[in-house]
Amino acid sequence: MTDIEEGRPVPETPELAHREARAAGALGVLMILGAVVVLIDAARLRDSDEALGPAAAPTLMGVLLGVLGGALAFQSRRFLRTPQEGKRRLWRLTALVVVLIAFALLLPVMGYVVSSAGLFAGAALLLGAPHPARVVAYGWTLAVVVFLVFDVLIGLSLPTGPWGF
Amino acid sequence: MGDLLSGFADALTPGNLLWAFIGVTIGTAVGVLPGIGPALTVALLLPVTFRLEPAAALIMFAGIYYGGMYGGSTTSILLNTPGESASVATALEGNKMARAGRGAAALATAALGSFVAGTIGTIALSVAAPVVADIAVNFGPPEYVALMAVAFVTVSALLGPSLLKGGASLVIGATIGLVGIDTQTGQARLAFGMPSLLDGIDVVIVVVALFALGETFAHLIAGTGDSRVEPLRGQPMLSRADFRRSWPAWLRGTALGFPIGSLPAGGADVPTFLSYSLEKRLSKHRDEFGHGAIEGVAGPEAANNAAAAGVLVPLLTIGLPTSATAAVILTAFQSYGLQPGPQLFSESGELVWALIASLYIGNVLLLVLNLPLARAWVRLLTIPAYGIYAGVLVFACLGAFAAGGTVADLIVLTVLGLIGLLMREAGVPVAPAVVGLILAPLAEQQLRRALALSEGDWSTLVSSPLTVVLWLVVLLALVAPPALAFARRRSTGRDKQSVG
Repeated sequence: MTDIEEGRPVPETPELAHREARAAGALGVLMILGAVVVLIDAARLRDSDEALGPAAAPTLMGVLLGVLGGALAFQSRRFLRTPQEGKRRLWRLTALVVVLIAFALLLPVMGYVVSSAGLFAGAALLLGAPHPARVVAYGWTLAVVVFLVFDVLIGLSLPTGPWGF
Repeated sequence: MGDLLSGFADALTPGNLLWAFIGVTIGTAVGVLPGIGPALTVALLLPVTFRLEPAAALIMFAGIYYGGMYGGSTTSILLNTPGESASVATALEGNKMARAGRGAAALATAALGSFVAGTIGTIALSVAAPVVADIAVNFGPPEYVALMAVAFVTVSALLGPSLLKGGASLVIGATIGLVGIDTQTGQARLAFGMPSLLDGIDVVIVVVALFALGETFAHLIAGTGDSRVEPLRGQPMLSRADFRRSWPAWLRGTALGFPIGSLPAGGADVPTFLSYSLEKRLSKHRDEFGHGAIEGVAGPEAANNAAAAGVLVPLLTIGLPTSATAAVILTAFQSYGLQPGPQLFSESGELVWALIASLYIGNVLLLVLNLPLARAWVRLLTIPAYGIYAGVLVFACLGAFAAGGTVADLIVLTVLGLIGLLMREAGVPVAPAVVGLILAPLAEQQLRRALALSEGDWSTLVSSPLTVVLWLVVLLALVAPPALAFARRRSTGRDKQSVG
């Protein structure tokens, strides 16, 4: 049995274990919130004349989400109140999420190639790419190749901007 | 046998061979990228196959599947970043071998072992699948409910560090699976009035979000964690001594992998660890373990590939996915208009046999393609991390858009990606979530069908001997691990808190 467990990635340092426990606690709290949402949504469903109505599965999932989330949060309660992640890391994560949402919103307006080139460049720069000009060039190339292969060759219709690509 | 031969006839036309070749090549190329395992490879490349006719799509898809598996083992060996838990055992010794300058031998034994195990596994699949399908024809809803319960419990227990974390992942996935219109009453569940949520969240979007976005976000937060690519010296070849040490390990790995993989229970990666410890125990070179023993690569890698073929048995014959990759394959089948299950062989027999035949062909192509091209794949690993992850994001968004087709799907993708990040940081495995996402709606459907047939009598669930046995397995799987852990803790007398 120990050989099986050997292969599992185990947090190497106390610091990492600490971070993992804090994340587990946060996930647990999120699951409890999710449980509330799921249960409220389930309660609103009209019952049918079946033995098992449409609300049965969501109710069960809501309860399980709450119980398992509660257990995760309880296990790591000691770690939940300790200081937070480095601010810069969270800032970079927020920036990438903004880039992704901007991509989603701009896609129908600007067309696939321009938005994807922007997504690539933005993500690469946030991930620490050294040469902005080169990254933009890579992004354009990738976006154009993807567009040619998927839209022109395979026939998956991708959104086009006012300029037709 | 005749079915298989006509399958070969379908798969060996020049056009279909070309699709198999393209599938194997891009499957390997994407699978080689660090952090991308077979499940994600298949999900990312699924949109490529959408516009092909079903036979060509399935054949290309088989190539992508096996190519992704092969590419993943290359990365595990040279970069020590296994894309999924099934390659962790390969990385243990493989990366040590690469560090000692024996990367070429490690790649060769992995490739040949995959070929041997893949071929034997595919043969076993073509023998076992029709037999199991014949048995499964008689299954009613109660049997399906019990089988799925077994899959739920084993997937939670075996695919994660603990039942709690595996279960949490499964329930998160199952909850996502609830989103959309309830098929029986036509009411929307968890859709919050958003039109794009009414059809449910596409599996491709969930897989891509949890695996690809989660991985990218984690990389962003961790900063530029430098990973070292071990240089590859010489052509991947096996010396006579290496071969003599490898082939028994391949066969033992296959013998472990296929039967365990084909059980209708989760844990296709368990045989890889079993094979690792078996090789360690049997080896005459036990001192080499931990420093790069070739048996430690040959066995687990063969077990992994044999299990991958085994997983297709419950998937094709019962419609029961037991790994994240199988869950994605099920989605692929559905998008080609096929429903895996006992009827699949009678209704779309031709397509299934063409798929099985192309698994054989893909295996041969991989061997021919990969050993000489190993250096080209290794060069892919030298792409800087920012390029790889930015590219992965572009393809992830493309996949999500192709699967869903609206802006809202991309927002859903981002939100699920953040959940994936939190799960990853918390040490919660994401694979059970994917299985839960697919299986939970199926389980609900079968349970409601069973109760409708029995007019609300719950005892129908244990009405046949098979169901009783399966429910006992569920009970055992739930009770045994904590009991064993308790017993072990008492016997060792350590009252230190266990990790995870």
